[in-house]
Amino acid sequence: MDRVSALTMVQTIARTLDEEMARDERVVVLGEDVGKRGGVFLATEKLFDKYGPDRVIDSPLSEAAIIGAAVGMAAHGLRPVAEIQFADYVYPGFDQLVSQVAKLRYRSGGQFTAPLVVRMPAGGGVKGGHHHSQSPEAHFVHTAGLKVVFPSTPADARGLLKSAIRDDDPVVFMEPKRLYRAVKEELPDDPDALVPIGKAAVRRVGDDVVLVSYGGSMAETTRAAEALVEQGLSPHVIDLRSLAPWDEDTVLAAVARVGRVVLVSEAPKSASVMSEVAATIAEELLDQLLAPPLRVSGFDTPYPYAQDREYLPGPARIMRAVQRVLDY
Amino acid sequence: MILESQLFQPFTDEPIAVTSESGEWIAPFELDLGPDKLRRMYQDMLLGRAVDERMSRLQRQGKVSFVAPSGGHEGAQVGIAHALRAGHDWLFPYYRDVTLPLAIGVPVVEFVAQAMGTAADPSRARQMPYHASSKELNVFSAASPIASHIPPAAGCAISMKLRGTDQVTVCTFGDGSTSEGDWHAGVNFAGAQGAPIVFACQNNRYAISVGFEKQTGSDSIYTKAHAYGMPGYFVDGMDPLAAYYVMREAVQRARDGFGPALVELLVYRYGGHSSADDDSRYRPRAEVEAWRKRDPLARLRRFLTRRGLWDDAAEKEAEAVVRAQVDDAIAQAQAAGDVAVEAMFEDVLAEVPERLVKQRSELLG
Ligand SMILES: Cc1ncc(C[n+]2csc(CCOP(=O)(O)OP(=O)(O)O)c2C)c(N)n1
Repeated sequence: MDRVSALTMVQTIARTLDEEMARDERVVVLGEDVGKRGGVFLATEKLFDKYGPDRVIDSPLSEAAIIGAAVGMAAHGLRPVAEIQFADYVYPGFDQLVSQVAKLRYRSGGQFTAPLVVRMPAGGGVKGGHHHSQSPEAHFVHTAGLKVVFPSTPADARGLLKSAIRDDDPVVFMEPKRLYRAVKEELPDDPDALVPIGKAAVRRVGDDVVLVSYGGSMAETTRAAEALVEQGLSPHVIDLRSLAPWDEDTVLAAVARVGRVVLVSEAPKSASVMSEVAATIAEELLDQLLAPPLRVSGFDTPYPYAQDREYLPGPARIMRAVQRVLDY
Repeated sequence: MILESQLFQPFTDEPIAVTSESGEWIAPFELDLGPDKLRRMYQDMLLGRAVDERMSRLQRQGKVSFVAPSGGHEGAQVGIAHALRAGHDWLFPYYRDVTLPLAIGVPVVEFVAQAMGTAADPSRARQMPYHASSKELNVFSAASPIASHIPPAAGCAISMKLRGTDQVTVCTFGDGSTSEGDWHAGVNFAGAQGAPIVFACQNNRYAISVGFEKQTGSDSIYTKAHAYGMPGYFVDGMDPLAAYYVMREAVQRARDGFGPALVELLVYRYGGHSSADDDSRYRPRAEVEAWRKRDPLARLRRFLTRRGLWDDAAEKEAEAVVRAQVDDAIAQAQAAGDVAVEAMFEDVLAEVPERLVKQRSELLG
């Protein structure tokens, strides 16, 4: 397959938006600073010059206006991609997500739909404190009527963003901002190379323990897996990529085979997405488990500023949990 | 921007009226509506009131779970309805709109079936009563959270502008709604984009029990338009023809590319806020009676009568027609039967996801 030059995740997102806007003139981008500035992280870089102010809309500073207007645009026939500058600032628009975006198809009996994407950089590790580091995905997963994805690689960001834009349902597209520029990846040239929503990726095949993670925490999970390999162990690593719906088949098949699982996510532990994964594993596989499913997560505190790194579930904490399920 | 061809000035101190209480034409311009249109408007109001009263009766009989009485709002609503191009322009309504969707053309049976929650409801019995929705007529699905439809309405209008359609969005709400952050967010965005939208406030001076003076420090809603860079019009909403003419002008202005407007229509609700409300706790009967004397149906009827377009015989006949229409709609709505239980799992997403399939079989066995 043809290859284009290697890109970071944030460059990939800008390029993907460009490709989708070129493909479908119904696709528009709106948000704070997405125009001339190209977004504060440059995720919409160069789009304004190419597509102009009608399709790259610098919105007022109002998340309710951004998400709400996207609903009306989508109902009227556009395919809006809304940017929330930080996931931490989705809350002023949260009612729009829950009351309008998620409910429109249902409450109208399918008469009206909101095929839109709400993108937002999320997660910690950037010294952002509690208002620039949160992982609010559980709120969205808990809200029926939304699809939620959280890629960890440039290629998945590309494939999932394309799927999200082309989907007939609203998709919350979460971006691990500490991985925005962490790695570069060569991407396929094919503009229609999609990653399906709802399918996990197996990053490493192994027999001793299953590690499940997604988003920013895939970085630490990968490092923990490498360390385990150095110790002569064989971890099986799954990147969920999609959180609603999440890929039960892939996770349950692996856990059924291996019998031990550690679930890694930097979101606060209580009522987290991984709590749901753990509960499902317990409901479906209790008699095949060799140890209880363990969660390694962020803590039930606001995201701290000074202890930015310690809050994240790093390789050491992941390895301790692995040791516990192996020793069980 | 104010155009020379405009009949009305924004930001007047007194509410705009074009007919007097006794039904005289008092506007400084000529009436340009034919007899059929005038009679149609009156008949639409009769229908709206009849549907509303019947739903209240069905509510007391336990056949409808809830109503949000709309009596007193008919003049404003019929004016709004006739000012837009039905099925071409979009309406973002709220729960007190009864005459409005009906006058746009929403079939009575759909409105009644929605209120009764039967299978003839195009929204598949997913909402509480009084939440209209019609894909065919571009009546956006009404939502309970106050003012949450304002940003979507703004977005729809922005889309109209961007796509170069000659459509206009009209968005209705009560006075209380203007206190929500979403109201500001939506009106502000529409103003910034110069989008073709008319925000129509049906100010009945109460938000449930909270009076207008507790809702805002401002003595009006229409003056708020200043802050959003759009004209604000102040209208006697008990004068159906004033509502129509001002809305028509605001809609035309938006269609011609001159951007949004805010129209405040002074109305009153004769009934309680809803079937769950006891309005005697917060407003004097004398106030209600005083407003009833200003009834918009009586006003338009006097106007028609003066012009020889209406009489007692016509009234009797129209009432019989409306009664038959409502009876028929109720019978049809009932005959459609209940929505299937498993319909609960549909329309969450385009396709029923795996997890919901499992949950459905857990329920159905
Ligand atoms: C966000 C939200 N808060 C509270 C309510 C409960 N509620 C329903 S109607 C209403 C009053 C609305 O008043 P107004 O906007 O003036 O419209 P009216 O009912 O008078 O026509 C309230 C408080 C709601 N539906 N949504």
